Amino acid sequence: MTSGPSPKKEERRSSRGLRREALYGLHLLRKNPIVLLGSIVALASVVLALSSGLIVDPNLWKTTHIALRLCWNNPIVNWNLRNVYDCSGPTTYLLGTDNYGRDVLRMIILAIPLDLQVSLEIVLSAVLIGTVFGGIAAYAGGSLDELILRLTDIFLAVPSLLLAIVLATILGRTLQNLTLSVLVTWWPTYVRLMRSQVLTEKEKPYVEALRAVGAGRVRILFRHIVPNSIYPIVVQGTLDIGSVILTFSALTFIGFSPSPLIPELGNLVNQGIQYVFTAPWLIIFPGLTIFVVSLGFNLLGDGIRDIFDPRLRR
Amino acid sequence: MRLYEYVLRRIILMVFVLVGVSLIVFYLGRGLLPPESALAPYITPRMDDATKLQLARSLGVATSSCPSWSALAAHESVCLVPVWGQYLSWVGNVLAGNWGYSLLPGVAGTQTTWDVFWLRFPYTAELAVAGTILTALVAIPLGIISATRNNRLPDHVSRFISLGGYSVPAFWFGLLLQLLFVLYLRVGGNALLPSNGVLDTSCALCVSSPGQVTGYTGAPILDALLSLNPVYFWDSLVALFLPTLTLAITSIGALTRILRSSMMEVLRQDYILLARSKGLKERVVIYRHALKNAVLPSITITGLLFALLLGGVVIVEVVFSWPGVGAASVVASTVLDVNFLELYVLVTAFIIVVTNLLVDIVYAKLDPRIRY
Repeated sequence: MTSGPSPKKEERRSSRGLRREALYGLHLLRKNPIVLLGSIVALASVVLALSSGLIVDPNLWKTTHIALRLCWNNPIVNWNLRNVYDCSGPTTYLLGTDNYGRDVLRMIILAIPLDLQVSLEIVLSAVLIGTVFGGIAAYAGGSLDELILRLTDIFLAVPSLLLAIVLATILGRTLQNLTLSVLVTWWPTYVRLMRSQVLTEKEKPYVEALRAVGAGRVRILFRHIVPNSIYPIVVQGTLDIGSVILTFSALTFIGFSPSPLIPELGNLVNQGIQYVFTAPWLIIFPGLTIFVVSLGFNLLGDGIRDIFDPRLRR
Repeated sequence: MRLYEYVLRRIILMVFVLVGVSLIVFYLGRGLLPPESALAPYITPRMDDATKLQLARSLGVATSSCPSWSALAAHESVCLVPVWGQYLSWVGNVLAGNWGYSLLPGVAGTQTTWDVFWLRFPYTAELAVAGTILTALVAIPLGIISATRNNRLPDHVSRFISLGGYSVPAFWFGLLLQLLFVLYLRVGGNALLPSNGVLDTSCALCVSSPGQVTGYTGAPILDALLSLNPVYFWDSLVALFLPTLTLAITSIGALTRILRSSMMEVLRQDYILLARSKGLKERVVIYRHALKNAVLPSITITGLLFALLLGGVVIVEVVFSWPGVGAASVVASTVLDVNFLELYVLVTAFIIVVTNLLVDIVYAKLDPRIRY
């Protein structure tokens, strides 16, 4: 151990390397305006979600004002419709009010944390399940691998929305059950992804070296192989935050919402569907929010892949 | 391994997957819901308790030692067959097409679930096929443009379109289209579509009107075509337009990205370099040499896309009140018509695994480099 660099030096070198990597990442980010836009949108939606309780009263969705039903008094937009009610009173409702007389803008701000939270829960659980089972399947091989693989086959043979509908129908429409229903359709992709990563990773010399020095199998798998093969999973996870929001809101849109009042983006659109031609703002703005948030995460995930994919670099 | 050995292996796996799907579906319906819900589709109002008990026994829900219907209704343990014991009799009924009466409002008790499903299925299949075709028509050129003009403006635009399509909520997009075509797009003062919003998709009416369109397949476009009826063909084509657009917009992104990356992979190959250094025109290089190899993965994806769209059409059908199985499944879930949902899942799963297999065989035939 005399010829190697001293620990301090090594630390300094790696931290310098890290800084260079980060700077290079930032440089690529600057060169790619679309990714920059995506990361800003994703970041903004997370910040908005975290602070929504401070901006808007969290109990707003429970209070209804029949007098303020379906009205619009934002002078910037003229809907060109025959019967648009003008909200009485001095307050300007930027995005109008809904059929319970609640401010649509505030409802959207309340809904963002709920959708993001559900999406994060689902993606993180799917990543966890995928990492553990995919890693075990690939590293153990043999009949265990075959069993896990066939299990994912079964779940991948049913379209995810359909399976989620069946599950939500039978389990009942609570928020937990809806989350579970989407999760059940989501984990197999991650198992497959992790498995293929670990399969290539476990053939590398460093794994053999670890085995030679007597490291345990669990330790090799979860301390060494998994951290080295987690990166495509992270990219997929970022991309999926958007897709899960889409699936979840689609589920609540077709009527699986726990309550018609609940501030959830798909449910807000569902509540507006019967007023499409009289109060279009009820569907336009909540839907636009889903679109923008999920686009943000998709652009971010796409960008991360491009920035860190060594094949496309330099 | 020869091709037929490979196919044989795949068919065995296919059966395994289908049994797995049926086990899950069966367990969800029977294990998590009370036994009455399993009997509900088979019971008609006029049945007396003795008949009901007999029915429950023949369906394998009640044991032969069960004393009376009321004992079963009270969930007494003498009567209840364990869930795993019910599976075989359930499979027998499923394979015989004995799904009981539909619980859907309007047809409840008069039509069987099997009939209701297959009456509606052609509409869904038609939509899924149209969506697949439109996706391929848009995504393939977009993918080529994106790859050949990599990292320039057309690539950025096409990437933005594909990612945008990937991120747009289908239900919102469908509603926006309706809003646009009904309220805001006007030609000479008239809206492009009738005022109540939803396009007339009820070609079920034109199928039933005698002498004009014969219901050969149940899918309006095919029927109109086979009956050589240009008016109804046009009508059903127009009715198909917006739902297909909505369905395609979400899958265009995925296909474009796959085509882009495979095209870029192919363009890096040596034989492309050779073709270019021979002095071939760029157009010839791309369309005659690169495209043939790059389009292969898209064929796989297009096949799978059709199968996935069969299940994914639910939202589009709801938004456009399309008379297919997807919209019906949402209604089925509100009245707890589990049999309808189970049938939908099983049929879709069957189509998906069969399509998977067919696509792989076609792939092997198209690409001589692939050996099994």
